Amino acid sequence: MKRLLTGTALATLAFAGMGHADTTIELQRFFGACDTEFGNVTDVSQAVGECGIITALINKFEADNPGIDVNVTTVEWPGYDQLNAQLASRAAPDVVTMHYSAISDYQSRGLLDPVDDILAAQGIEPSAFTDAARSGVTKEGKMYGLPFDNWTMLFHVNLNLMKEAGLVNDDGTPILPTSVDELFAQGEQFKEATGKPYLVQVLANETAAYTRALYTFLQQQNSDFFADPKAVDLTTPEATAVVELLKKIYDEGLTTTGMDYAAAVSGFSNGDGGIAINGTWLIGDYVAQSEKEGTALSGGYTVYPIPQLFPGKDSTYADGHGWVLPKKDRSPEQVEAIGKLFKSLADNDFQWARTGHLPAVQAVFEMEEFQSLPHRANIAEIADTGQSLPPEVLRQFAIQDIIGEELAAAVHGDKSVEDALETAEKRINDLLDNI
Amino acid sequence: MAESYRRSRWSNALFVAPYLVVFFALLVFPLFWGMWLSLNKVDLFGGGQFIGLRNYARVLSDPVFHQAVRNTVVFVAVSVPTLVGLGLFLALALNKTTRGSSFLRGLYFSSSILSVTIVTLIWRIVFIPNDGLMALIFNVLGLEPIGFLSTKGWSLFSVGVATVWWCIGLPMMLLLAALQQIPADLYEAAALDNAGKWRVLTRITLPSIKPTIMLVAVIQIVMQFQLFGQALIMTNGGPAGSSRPIVMYIYETAFIRWDVGMGAAASELLFVIILCAAMFQYWISSRKEVA
Repeated sequence: MKRLLTGTALATLAFAGMGHADTTIELQRFFGACDTEFGNVTDVSQAVGECGIITALINKFEADNPGIDVNVTTVEWPGYDQLNAQLASRAAPDVVTMHYSAISDYQSRGLLDPVDDILAAQGIEPSAFTDAARSGVTKEGKMYGLPFDNWTMLFHVNLNLMKEAGLVNDDGTPILPTSVDELFAQGEQFKEATGKPYLVQVLANETAAYTRALYTFLQQQNSDFFADPKAVDLTTPEATAVVELLKKIYDEGLTTTGMDYAAAVSGFSNGDGGIAINGTWLIGDYVAQSEKEGTALSGGYTVYPIPQLFPGKDSTYADGHGWVLPKKDRSPEQVEAIGKLFKSLADNDFQWARTGHLPAVQAVFEMEEFQSLPHRANIAEIADTGQSLPPEVLRQFAIQDIIGEELAAAVHGDKSVEDALETAEKRINDLLDNI
Repeated sequence: MAESYRRSRWSNALFVAPYLVVFFALLVFPLFWGMWLSLNKVDLFGGGQFIGLRNYARVLSDPVFHQAVRNTVVFVAVSVPTLVGLGLFLALALNKTTRGSSFLRGLYFSSSILSVTIVTLIWRIVFIPNDGLMALIFNVLGLEPIGFLSTKGWSLFSVGVATVWWCIGLPMMLLLAALQQIPADLYEAAALDNAGKWRVLTRITLPSIKPTIMLVAVIQIVMQFQLFGQALIMTNGGPAGSSRPIVMYIYETAFIRWDVGMGAAASELLFVIILCAAMFQYWISSRKEVA
């Protein structure tokens, strides 16, 4: 009986050892939820769009690493409210998606762990990343996240409508403006020929689009509006010129009006206008639609960077996505598992670049598969012309909201351009002054 | 009597202790903690520096806060009478014991069980330009569609429509319950006196349910001053802040700007505004009663 009991106890211990729990990584991300469509996909090449590809990438990582369990929580973009609440209650997840423009806020409050050692343990050199991507996550000489991509706003072009308007070259490329005057001339030509607005813009219930346009066109005029990271300067002739440009586009009926983000994305798909000003992340989806029969984009889609309209320099506002580690205690197994996850994400950065985002890993640019992706040659220059705000500028999302709100008021005629810019400057400087 | 008094022991407090613990932990402590935060320069993640009333001075001198207060007061001034009036109308119309009225009561109440996300999604489909229901109706009628969610004035109106549709269930049910408490013999007596429908309504029905109307009005004032989700999701407070309510101002200040001290100061001001509005409503009704 004694032997039986001892044997049973030993067997139980042995089974308990064998049944050792997986290492779990709590991962929190935006990019949407699409488990119904891609929940079981481990072949990443079969996935499309941001949501599909990131879901498949995590699935593949779990399949390749049977001892590691990744618990994914999907949050509404950008998800910082949830993260703030989690950090405040000391219940942050292990790995979180974060815009490069938001990393300074968290790093400066000591809320993030550096990742240099984790990357080094996996043999990932900082030099493996592009300058833009690496600088996006580097603060005070340390990397505070795995760079994943760079993104910017683009001109998504409906070539079918542009042909109708006579705005296509003989080689099939669209005729795009190279100055403010050309923008209005071509916009009028398009509107007269097609009866539709030239631009499809996100002008309702949204602040980011206005702000990114302002930053882009200020950069094109060499305006150093954040010379002092603690005080913005928007009461300048350059800023006035940008807002007057946006307002004239609206006043002359060259843009869709009243569309929120979702309406603008589907509006361009439905052929509501010639050029959608929207992000890199839509390239994959629009390419897929152009390859289908019977859509407004069938056989007639291409994409270019926002053209240089001001005679300063060719520049476009750019940001990026990274994976950061909220400050918390982690077991060595968890740290190793996160390292493996980062390695997998970096190794598969080409797959992520299929979304339309620019790769963070330098080597992907040299890959034949990447170069043969549709339209990537058109937008490759963004690697050089993309420019973010100075990293010392804190609360960039709050600033974006203030600028977007004030510019929307000016564009819709609720405020004068000067009043909107003055108010935006005052509100932003009050915000930065009280951090 | 003295014996029973002596039997009353402190240990009896254990029976109410669970409730008191929750009450103090979730209501009293946060109330005073919020007051303390409003006197500090503090972000979401701790620390803090006592700065006296400076956060209040900043809030009170902020034009964005003034606009949010105006928006909220207008919203409450329009939505509360609408909710009370419409709720009373529905309650009077459905105060019957037929199957049809039971079905309609359920139908009108059903919107109240939806989450704010679902409600705003439904009304977004109605109001969004191009493919929205209102845009389609305007197109069919050959009229220029209105940007309900992106035009000054219309955006707060659209949020109000969604709110009334969402919140109408509770006033209707409370008033219906009150109507069913009115003794039937009052109506019999009125019928014997050959009183008209209007006279019955104004002399019997409304005076009998006056305390409930008052209750519904106070509940709705308190609720509608806390407007948030509908405005955030449908209009994001725009255009030009014309549909930003006070709670959204608090949210933006505390959670987007991380300025928890200033957000807490705005919260305390909202608390005072709601208290004053509810007390004013109470005073108005009590005064009439005395008169």
